[in-house]
Amino acid sequence: MADYDVIVIGAGLGGLSSGALLAHRGLKVLVLEQSGRIGGCCSTFERDGYRHDVGASIVEITQPIELVFKALGTSFGEEVDLIPCDPIFSVMYRNGERITVEKSIEATGKLIASLDPADGRRWFDFCDYCSDMMDVLLDSILVEPADTLGDMARVVKKNPALLRYLPNFMSTYQDLIQKYFKSDQVQRTMAYQSLYMGMPPALCPGPFAMIPYSEHRGIWYPRGGMIRIPEALVRCGQKDGMELRLNTPVTSVIVRNGRAKGVVLEDGREISSRMVVSNVNPRMLYLDLIGEQHLPWLTRTGVKSLKYGKSLCMVYVGVDCKPPLDAHHSYIAVSMQEVNDFWAKHVETGVMLPANANYGLVCWPSHSDDSLAPEGHHVLNVIPESFYHLKGTNWDAFKDRFIDEYIDYLSEKLVPDLRGHITHAIGSSPVDFERHLRLPEGSIYCFHQDASHQAVFRPSSKSKCIDGLYLTGSGTHPGGGVPTTMSSGYIAYSQILKHERC
Amino acid sequence: MNIKKILLLAGAAVAVYVYVKQPERKKRFLREILRQVPYLIPRYFA
Repeated sequence: MADYDVIVIGAGLGGLSSGALLAHRGLKVLVLEQSGRIGGCCSTFERDGYRHDVGASIVEITQPIELVFKALGTSFGEEVDLIPCDPIFSVMYRNGERITVEKSIEATGKLIASLDPADGRRWFDFCDYCSDMMDVLLDSILVEPADTLGDMARVVKKNPALLRYLPNFMSTYQDLIQKYFKSDQVQRTMAYQSLYMGMPPALCPGPFAMIPYSEHRGIWYPRGGMIRIPEALVRCGQKDGMELRLNTPVTSVIVRNGRAKGVVLEDGREISSRMVVSNVNPRMLYLDLIGEQHLPWLTRTGVKSLKYGKSLCMVYVGVDCKPPLDAHHSYIAVSMQEVNDFWAKHVETGVMLPANANYGLVCWPSHSDDSLAPEGHHVLNVIPESFYHLKGTNWDAFKDRFIDEYIDYLSEKLVPDLRGHITHAIGSSPVDFERHLRLPEGSIYCFHQDASHQAVFRPSSKSKCIDGLYLTGSGTHPGGGVPTTMSSGYIAYSQILKHERC
Repeated sequence: MNIKKILLLAGAAVAVYVYVKQPERKKRFLREILRQVPYLIPRYFA
């Protein structure tokens, strides 16, 4: 008899969601996490009394999260104290001007009209279009398995309106934004958000153009830091008997007669189980933890062809004053062309652009939750644009200089006198994320999120070549992000209920 | 030349014309999609 019903490898949001749900269903669940902290990219760490979020900085599109907590017999609001963020973001222009965007669609319409009256009128048409598209996608593809053509047919049958929006996958984010907005200044308030999907506006699929609208449905910050979400999942799971072991790396998945039978730990111990749920990167799972010998050649070729997406670089800063910012999120205003050029001229060539031409996102979580820093002090988590493959150098040699120059640039141009108030600044390069979070190439969304890496073309939630193996996390459908990884956990759980004896 | 071949050639000509008429950024998007086409079937089995 197996030691456990289910072993979950990785305590990211996907692994914890499926683990807690399966434990709630009465299964004996063990979650193994290689690091000393839960949540993966949706986590928080403390340094000198300041609490910094590792990667994810807010929560939006909460329906999939609500779905998970509802299935656990509770609600998101009951488990996590959510602080609404309004204004939702501020745009900082390089000439010192700023625009602050409120949650209200009407107020944003007026703001856009003040920049360009015709665009102001079209803003409401854009919101109507995106609202309908978002409802359709949320109701259909975001919470359902998309492993096979049969799954896709079921999704379309459930909500035929999806067919109306599928052609958008052949258009781009930029196409859709420019269809509605003609003013460069207005487009600059929406260009950066395409990187929420890890791609520049010219390559990001059209449906993701709903992001500038979706933020107006609300964004929230969990009081105490982003780690409150995985902590809530652990709390729910442990009530139902789920076991969690930190600092326990898995070196391989045991496969016998084409079925996953358990795992081998770094110290050589074997733990058996009836099923295995993997929350690790699917390429790493199949090629390293399972081994090519267990994979049919078509699967092997498919897994190897998956391209990693956007790399993450973060600077965690503590300051001894209230920073002169206006919102939880502040973008450095950037045109669609600049983001596209960064991708074409820098990401693809490996030549980093100078700090004073860089852009990015400044997250100010202590604006929403003052408990994150000592009294009178604040926390800033800064995300400069970066990539993994550097030409002629490496991140270990380059990181300190890059971060130093970027802070100088912010301090001189955008956040006056930031440098003089810094109590600490910790940099984390794409290579650091690769080492500590097992994110190959520091890719926060795992694989690309273009049409060729979506739905049936993303690794399946139920393995197509190994029975009893289920996948969750950003490397599976529906992709990277807080609600989507939790959705992937829910999908893995529903697949297990459908295909296994529970 | 039979009708099938004529239709195929006409279709290819229209596709090339449409591609050439696209702005450079759209061509890049289409090239990215085309570059991924050979991997779609293997990815389906991953």
